[in-house]
Amino acid sequence: MSALLSPEDLKRQALANVQDATESKAENPALTALRDSSLAALKAAVFPGRKTEQWKYTSLQPLADGHLNRRAAAAATPADLPGLGDYRLVLVNGRLDESSSALPDGVTLKREASRLEGLTTPFALYNGAALDDAVTLEVAANTDVAGTVQVIHYADGDQPAHCNTRLEVVLGTGSRMTLIEQYLGRGPVLTNAVTAIETRDNAHLSHYRLQSEARDSLHIGTLLLRQSGVSRIDSYQLMAGSRLRRNDVRAFIDKSGAELNMNGIFVARDRTHIDNQLCVEHRVPDCTSNQVYRGLAGEKGKAILNGRIHIHPGASGTLAELSNKNLLLNPGAEIDTKPELEIYNDDVKCAHGATVGQLDAGQQFYLQARGVPLAEAKRMLSLGFVNELVMALPDQAVADWAQPWLAGELGQSRGADEEAA
Amino acid sequence: MLEIRDLHAAVAGEPILKGLNLTVNAGEVHAIMGPNGSGKSTLANVLAGKDNYEITGGEALFEGKSLGDLEPEERAQLGLFLAFQYPVEIPGVSNMEFLKAALEATRKAQGKEEWDSVTLLRKARETCKQVDLDPQFLKRGVNEGFSGGEKKRNEIMQMLLMEPKLALLDETDSGLDIDALQTVARGVNSLRSPERGIVLVTHYQRLLDYIVPDFVHVLSNGQIIKSGGKELAHELEEHGYGWLTGDRNDGKDQSA
Repeated sequence: MSALLSPEDLKRQALANVQDATESKAENPALTALRDSSLAALKAAVFPGRKTEQWKYTSLQPLADGHLNRRAAAAATPADLPGLGDYRLVLVNGRLDESSSALPDGVTLKREASRLEGLTTPFALYNGAALDDAVTLEVAANTDVAGTVQVIHYADGDQPAHCNTRLEVVLGTGSRMTLIEQYLGRGPVLTNAVTAIETRDNAHLSHYRLQSEARDSLHIGTLLLRQSGVSRIDSYQLMAGSRLRRNDVRAFIDKSGAELNMNGIFVARDRTHIDNQLCVEHRVPDCTSNQVYRGLAGEKGKAILNGRIHIHPGASGTLAELSNKNLLLNPGAEIDTKPELEIYNDDVKCAHGATVGQLDAGQQFYLQARGVPLAEAKRMLSLGFVNELVMALPDQAVADWAQPWLAGELGQSRGADEEAA
Repeated sequence: MLEIRDLHAAVAGEPILKGLNLTVNAGEVHAIMGPNGSGKSTLANVLAGKDNYEITGGEALFEGKSLGDLEPEERAQLGLFLAFQYPVEIPGVSNMEFLKAALEATRKAQGKEEWDSVTLLRKARETCKQVDLDPQFLKRGVNEGFSGGEKKRNEIMQMLLMEPKLALLDETDSGLDIDALQTVARGVNSLRSPERGIVLVTHYQRLLDYIVPDFVHVLSNGQIIKSGGKELAHELEEHGYGWLTGDRNDGKDQSA
């Protein structure tokens, strides 16, 4: 059993990496400004511990294996990565593999990063302070990007280690794009990820965030959405639990008339863990946000969703909805869900609902009485529970990937395999 | 085919069936009638293997196997089919996906040739038409938003596709208008064959005008108290169940 890990230990480990690693500064000078400012903020930051409210249900003890002490070494791009988009970028352990990457017209790539505002968690700050590579995509104004763009973040390693991976995207005025962010990987590597997206006036982003690294992997990720223009973001998030998975999703809706839609499915089977912290900031009048999440937990899995909607003073005419329904597949699993509304305004329409239920015995019997074995009946009913969201996936390639993936995640427990491994 | 001997069963601990005997041979159609609360639906659910329906004595053998030892899906795979009195709705699982899973499991277990998806879809569409169900219903969630009559026709559609050895119909006639009743009856009659047994559980004689049984049994207080031919149903219709149970007030619509 590893020693208990305190917030001070985590901070010391993180700082040691960035204070030692001076050589990579020279490697990519475009990242120096962000590294310096992130490091300054990191020094003042407090890492989470057992008493931190936003980390109430998630322990960082798995990091006691020393993930933060070692950076994942450079690794080759696997040959068999899924091709879900018309164009693909691949980052392996946070480094762009240019030879495996291509982009459509109207999208330019820069190996830099600059976002700091809105990134407040120590892990996001550490990501900025420790970067040695990053990708910024700029979609030119009035460009309807021809073809979907898939960005794969691949984590690879045989020993406990971590990588920092970073994607920033700016959609120019009047542009449209479909972006598929996919997190894959093998081995006990902690992916410390930051994705920051900005949409300007009349931009429309369809965003997919697929997280299916191997179960022994760890992931602490931040998704930062900023709607600086009257724009629309449709975000679809499919996530499997792993040894540790934590997602901080923060959306700033900053221009009247903007619309944000977020749908998500998360699954925690066997001993996996997933913690979703959502926060939507309505800072200006007359904006709409709509969030629909479905969660499932089975065996000893643990799934968490905290959905905060913060409606600032002056943000009148806000329409904000959050729905989170969850299914507990057996009594040993755990789901913690909490909508959290903070409203400083009278003229808003805000609805929220969170439920945790179980598979319906009558439905199970109906399927069994038609010859369907119990395990298969449970799988079908679990899939049925999320089917509405799967059917609503507009991108066919993603839907074609998601259906068998979910069928696998919701099928038989892999517990026995894992014990053997 | 079905051999029930001195069957005792309890629902959530309360005894409902109290020594029931019944033999159904291949090729026969049996009707089980009886007042509300007599144990008709309990019998159907015990045979199908519903949770909380526990066999406490005697035995029920299907094809020589003791049903009490089998999971519900194993019973179905042996060729037992229960048409539910209240079919459940399963949003998110399409009728077609459901049929595929059911037919794959049962046909495989019965050593029948498996149907590819084109064959399955064609047969499902044809069978829908046979019971006046719009084939569009195949795409919808199982029974989701179906009317009472549509649910019953969906049960019959499944039964026709699954070609069970023994079909148990639990109050399939309840809540049906006369047209739907005739459609359902046509479906059941098309299944009549020398290899197949059919058991109709019903409260009213009306269904038996359309599906003429070989045997009629009256169930009361958990036992079969009288058996006869099809004319027994008419006598019951005329005199009420009180004629046999000795309770003149035990007419048609007392709640259980």
